[in-house]
Amino acid sequence: MNPLIFTTILMTVLLGTMIVMMSSHWLMIWIGFEMNLLAIIPILMKKYNPRTMEASTKYFLTQATASMLLMMAIIINLMHSGQWTITKVFNPTASIIMTSALAMKLGLTPFHFWVPEVTQGISLTSGLILLTWQKLAPMSILYQISPSINLNILLTMAVLSILVGGWGGLNQTQLRKIMAYSSIAHMGWMTAVLAYNPTLTMLNMLIYIMMTLTMFMLFIHSSSTTTLSLSHTWNKTPLTTTLILITLLSMGGLPPLSGFMPKWMIIQELTKNNSIILPTLMAIMALLNLYFYMRLTYSTSLTMFPSTNNMKMKWQFETKRITFLPPLIVMSSLLLPLTPMLSILD
Amino acid sequence: MMTYIVFILSVIFVISFVGFSSKPSPIYGGLVLIVSGGVGCGIIMNFGGSFLGLMVFLIYLGGMLVVFGYTTAMATEQYPEVWVSNTTVMGVFLLGLLMEVMLVLYVLKSEEVGVVFKFSGVGDWAIYDTGDSEVFSEEIMGVAALYSYGAWVVIVTGWSLLVGVLVILEVTRGD
Repeated sequence: MNPLIFTTILMTVLLGTMIVMMSSHWLMIWIGFEMNLLAIIPILMKKYNPRTMEASTKYFLTQATASMLLMMAIIINLMHSGQWTITKVFNPTASIIMTSALAMKLGLTPFHFWVPEVTQGISLTSGLILLTWQKLAPMSILYQISPSINLNILLTMAVLSILVGGWGGLNQTQLRKIMAYSSIAHMGWMTAVLAYNPTLTMLNMLIYIMMTLTMFMLFIHSSSTTTLSLSHTWNKTPLTTTLILITLLSMGGLPPLSGFMPKWMIIQELTKNNSIILPTLMAIMALLNLYFYMRLTYSTSLTMFPSTNNMKMKWQFETKRITFLPPLIVMSSLLLPLTPMLSILD
Repeated sequence: MMTYIVFILSVIFVISFVGFSSKPSPIYGGLVLIVSGGVGCGIIMNFGGSFLGLMVFLIYLGGMLVVFGYTTAMATEQYPEVWVSNTTVMGVFLLGLLMEVMLVLYVLKSEEVGVVFKFSGVGDWAIYDTGDSEVFSEEIMGVAALYSYGAWVVIVTGWSLLVGVLVILEVTRGD
């Protein structure tokens, strides 16, 4: 793609999300979502083959439907409250429709079906933008309307997302689909605590973005999109195998690593609000996630995965320069001791 | 009849939307789009927005739809689909028509319709002229306000249109 056009379109994606996050008028928020959607389509279609075109079409259709539902919720809110300012949505119908629309944009169950298919059809860099940057805008709106969201619907969607994210990822060998199901599960964790303490949603979003960024960059660095291809990194860059191990265990939420911090805080916040069964169920279902991360680490770092002898050497392409990879790896594994700093958030 | 003209126009509006949503060939979709544009213009004009209605006719129908019609005529097939040629298209059209007719009968018969919002039968659709803003027309003041207080909206929509053109060129360019 012409570099000038590509920069313009990428800046428009950024501008769209910024407009969503900074506007106080519901119509401008809707415009921001549409600008974001319009500009990300050519980024998803960077490589020109039928798979990317199909993935972009699916993404466009689902996100456009979600935008239409959002517009309807905005208009119902306008009719009942008479004003366009972003506050919590007082009318229950508008609140439910808006929550469903934002859940469709995020990829929460029962609207999660597009996430693995779209992520699989596009290149790794586009998948990175899709799973990290595109989650910021809907989550910021959910944060702003969080006092008025129907708790039953929110918690049902959250728990089902964690379940689907865990179970769906079990049968996958394609790395992009694994990351998609991991995204669904993490979105479930984020929305579960939204009604209780929205700050923790933002914390989880921050740590999730760092870890997903790290994972994708490690995949890009070793140019691998399947488990088999990833299992050959011991041959090319042995250091990457250790880093993949650490980052994957952090994504699974294991204690000495940063991924444990959001899960710990969320479970603590939920138990403070006298719900015991819910965080227990969520923690148990996070084990499903941990299982397929462990399977990836097993095949990549802990064993020399079986393959035929002439496949053991990976093609030595020119080493890609990945920006910020070392700081990202450090941040996605070593942030746990900084947890007491969260007290500044009050 | 003139009291209920907005109601009648909105029913024709919905029917023509059903007409192109049932997906005949784009030529016929453009045909009902002309009808719906004209009827929408009528609805706006009944609320006093003569300028905006004229905008719809000139820019939307006379500019965009004409270009759309020309491009569709260039890309059309030998036997384009009408509403009666394909069973699916006719089925969807009849279904939409049936739902609209049932809604109209419901509105006409009952005193109050409370689906998402309550409106009391046909009475709410009639235009009441309160006679307040006779000095200046509200909708032209609104258009003027768009360029003064709403400068940010103009910038954002202008940028979206530019990026829309870039995106479409990029998507259809291919390799």
